[in-house]
Amino acid sequence: MTDRFELRRQDFRLDEDQQAVREGFGDFFTKQVPSSLVRDAEPLGFDADLWQRVVAMGATAMALPEAVGGDDATLVDLVLVAEELGKVVAPVPLVSHVVASRLLARAGGADELVAAAAAGERVVTLALQPVGGTNRQLVPDAAVARDVVAWSAEGLTLHTLAEPAAHVPNQGSTPLAWFDPAAGERTVLVSGPDAEQRFRSAVAEWKLLTAAALVGIADSALHLGVEFAKTRRTLGVAIGALQGVAFPLADVVTEISGARNLVHKAAWYATHEPQTRPDLPLAALVQAAHAATEAAWVSAHTQGGLGFTVEADISLFFLRAKGWSVLGGDPGSDRRQIAAALLRTF
Amino acid sequence: MDFSTVELTADQQAFQREVRAFLDEIVTEEVHEHERRTGDGFDEGVHLALGGRGWLFPGWPVEDGGADLDRVCQRILALELAHREVPGVTQGTTRLVWSGLQLSADPELAAELKPEVAAGRVRFCLGYSDPEGGSDIAGATLRAVRDGDEWVLNGSKLWTTGAHNCQYTFLITRTDPEAPKHKGLTMFLVPLDSPGVEIQAIRTYGGERTNAVYYTDVHVADRYRVGDVNAGWATLQGPLSNEHGGGRIADGLEDLAGGFTYTQAFDRAIDAAARWAKRTTRPDGTLVADDPVFLDRLGALVVSTEASRVTHGPMGRNKASLSYIAGIAELIDMVGPEALLAHGSDGAIEDGVLEFAHRWAQGTATYGGTTEVFKGMIAQHVLGLPRLNLPGSKQWVR
Repeated sequence: MTDRFELRRQDFRLDEDQQAVREGFGDFFTKQVPSSLVRDAEPLGFDADLWQRVVAMGATAMALPEAVGGDDATLVDLVLVAEELGKVVAPVPLVSHVVASRLLARAGGADELVAAAAAGERVVTLALQPVGGTNRQLVPDAAVARDVVAWSAEGLTLHTLAEPAAHVPNQGSTPLAWFDPAAGERTVLVSGPDAEQRFRSAVAEWKLLTAAALVGIADSALHLGVEFAKTRRTLGVAIGALQGVAFPLADVVTEISGARNLVHKAAWYATHEPQTRPDLPLAALVQAAHAATEAAWVSAHTQGGLGFTVEADISLFFLRAKGWSVLGGDPGSDRRQIAAALLRTF
Repeated sequence: MDFSTVELTADQQAFQREVRAFLDEIVTEEVHEHERRTGDGFDEGVHLALGGRGWLFPGWPVEDGGADLDRVCQRILALELAHREVPGVTQGTTRLVWSGLQLSADPELAAELKPEVAAGRVRFCLGYSDPEGGSDIAGATLRAVRDGDEWVLNGSKLWTTGAHNCQYTFLITRTDPEAPKHKGLTMFLVPLDSPGVEIQAIRTYGGERTNAVYYTDVHVADRYRVGDVNAGWATLQGPLSNEHGGGRIADGLEDLAGGFTYTQAFDRAIDAAARWAKRTTRPDGTLVADDPVFLDRLGALVVSTEASRVTHGPMGRNKASLSYIAGIAELIDMVGPEALLAHGSDGAIEDGVLEFAHRWAQGTATYGGTTEVFKGMIAQHVLGLPRLNLPGSKQWVR
């Protein structure tokens, strides 16, 4: 939290390169991921063929340091990619994979794995909760990744399993699996306070990119509701002309607009001034999760009974709005950290 | 994308020091006390002092009464004014009306008024809402009838905030009752000292004073007509779209959030509650700031302000207002009865900032058009939803 009246720029405009990233990945995901592909990938939520195409687009390598063969793309670029991914709810583990491979690359000591991750040959993921004792935890994308980075009192540890853990079917159709801290071969990468710091910032990155994906989910969910409201008629008018239908949709687009800009602002700070606003990625996730769940429910409800059917595409977005957002745990924990950050400034 | 701090040149740093020193001098405790007492949203001494520096229209050339400030210096000034809570309602309406006059007023009249407006001696208020019309401005019933070189006005307006501190009101009138609703309107700049104008105070529980203004056979010269006869709706649109968040410059310096003044008010309440939590213990001796339930609720409010801060235009206006109204009610609950102690009461938190914020929040959902009007605009213009055609949409229904 900084001085509320500090003289800062508030420039949300994307430059040409950023626009190219957004448009390039937007085109890619729109063309490559029809809703039928999303359905066909259920219940695991992973399409190996699509994953290879995402890798070929450079999405797994772009955000790694140049020293390990990456393009040094920033979190600003990554949130643009993640939003486009969210718009089509692409069944690929890109968010966890990118965050975990950036963490591994910066921590050092796993060069071969980082190279394989950049090439998309190995999927890596991150246990989002600290490991305490022998407690198992649900880890996003661990059903397709045999390399899991976790943090415990011992330090930041790479757990390598012989094969990915068994998938646990879940509402969001994501490759969720139980992670057993005792399983697999363990390599301590970093220890001490530095390890915790790296873990916390990786979790914040995961939350930021997930927030971006949720903005995409919210945007597509809203679009489905709006298109329905324009064409469905009652009492001689399109239902979207009725305030009882239109106003909730107007509220949703308002929430999405704030969520998107908050994601962008948080990504800029995380890239250029990571120490200044560590609370922003958390705020972005809380806001984006709210926008996505609200968008999905309002859009489904706009479509009446039809919006409650499995055939309606809104079902894909409804189930993932919560299914993706809650993977990071209770947002209450983020809210408490956000409040604590404010209190520290007084 | 850029959220970096702005590196100030030596000149800009000197300007910042100058602004701070000057405002320290003119924005006294008496100014704030006057505002608490009157709710005017205006302080003549401060307004004239700012005008004397060219800081009411700081971007205007010096010869026009401005200060020829660059964009960075304009932003420095705006932040310092906001920081010190300088009453600015009449400054805002004057600015808004000027943007309409500049486009549509008789050039001779505009030229005559410009230096006076810049100096702060001439100020404008908005004569938009009829008593029965509310946000439906185009439904105006106040009649203007031509009489030779003059017009005769009869009717009334509500919510003419600042009328008692202004020289003119920017008035929307009905000139052709037979024409379709939007085609029978004409705008005037009416001198408020005209015979037949009566201003009556209306008090809000937000602590503000606004006015009802009654017009009885008020004669206005044709030179005060703004824009063409029966083209009032088009004349009004320029400044109205400005009021709704248009007309701002997206150069990365200006605050594009449609409700930033509301969010600033909410921030002040949140900051006061945060400081309170750090110095206050529960009956069991634990610090409020260590209570995870308090933190969870406070965090939710902080997120709503962070989202409001970055939501632009009309959507930002709604987000800021509605988050503030819902959030301040929650914040009062979190603090308890102390939160409702008014300025001057024994134990009032930071001079009653929470108590004030709770009352003041309520008007924000109405200023410049209700949040429902804005939702309609968002539905139509952002989402592309069809417009709802009601009996009074196109026709003037009395």
